[in-house]
Amino acid sequence: MSAPRQIFRTVIRGSIADVWHEITRTDKPLPCFFNMRMHVDGMRPGSRLRMRTPDGAYTGVVGDILECDPPRRFAHTFQFTNYNDPPCKVVYELREVPEGVEFTLALEDVPVGTKTAKQMTQGGPIIVSTLKATVEGTSIPFMMRFIHVMSKLTQPFTPKRCASANWP
Amino acid sequence: MLTYRLGMTRDRAGDVFSALANAARRRMLDLLVEHPGMHVAALGTHFKFSDVAVLKHVRVLEAAGLIVSQRDARERRLYFNAVPIQEIYDRWTTQYSGFWASHVADIKARVEARALRKAARRA
Repeated sequence: MSAPRQIFRTVIRGSIADVWHEITRTDKPLPCFFNMRMHVDGMRPGSRLRMRTPDGAYTGVVGDILECDPPRRFAHTFQFTNYNDPPCKVVYELREVPEGVEFTLALEDVPVGTKTAKQMTQGGPIIVSTLKATVEGTSIPFMMRFIHVMSKLTQPFTPKRCASANWP
Repeated sequence: MLTYRLGMTRDRAGDVFSALANAARRRMLDLLVEHPGMHVAALGTHFKFSDVAVLKHVRVLEAAGLIVSQRDARERRLYFNAVPIQEIYDRWTTQYSGFWASHVADIKARVEARALRKAARRA
């Protein structure tokens, strides 16, 4: 059974191009996505998407791109590699407003009562607030900085099933 | 020297605090956390005041960014948006205060839960 849609929204003082770039870049780790680096085999529906540690050794998230309409809408499936939960859907919508860019992260089809559901609900607000800080050039929230540090320190203890060799 | 992170403007923070200062609006957010995507009409059934008053409160919450509304085929569905509260937390939390505040809140929750269980056993 899936949980109802969850929505996380903020207004980012920046250009729509900058916000789009920050959620789709593949050249370096993304601060708002827990310092994971996005790997795709194309930015079009059907392309594979992988979120990997900066050194590429482990893959935390796998998915397929569902929609890519730059710079306004990006959607993909989302599945944690260390859980046996079914995939859910993540949608990013960007809309220009007088103050900058209204950025919306929507979570859909999240399986109820799973570890995935808990992680997604907890992660939504901090992902959005970190994206805002990154684009606006202000300091990234302490909690995200803490997660960046801890992720690096605990990487040696990552489950073997998350090794990138298992998720080409 | 006093500095603060510029993530949330002072005006926006004021909107959030004003929105949260009203008990009925806080109850609306509780309901939307429990039932994301609730229609405006369904939300109104939980309150004794008029539809006009319900809409007025919903508009205040939307202006503060605490509610997002999306229209489906017939009606508006409302969703709680936690990001403004995250931004307030980010603004005033350091690496030390965040840890200790969370610890204290945890102690409070455990003690109060134990007191409630004891009261229930006595009753």
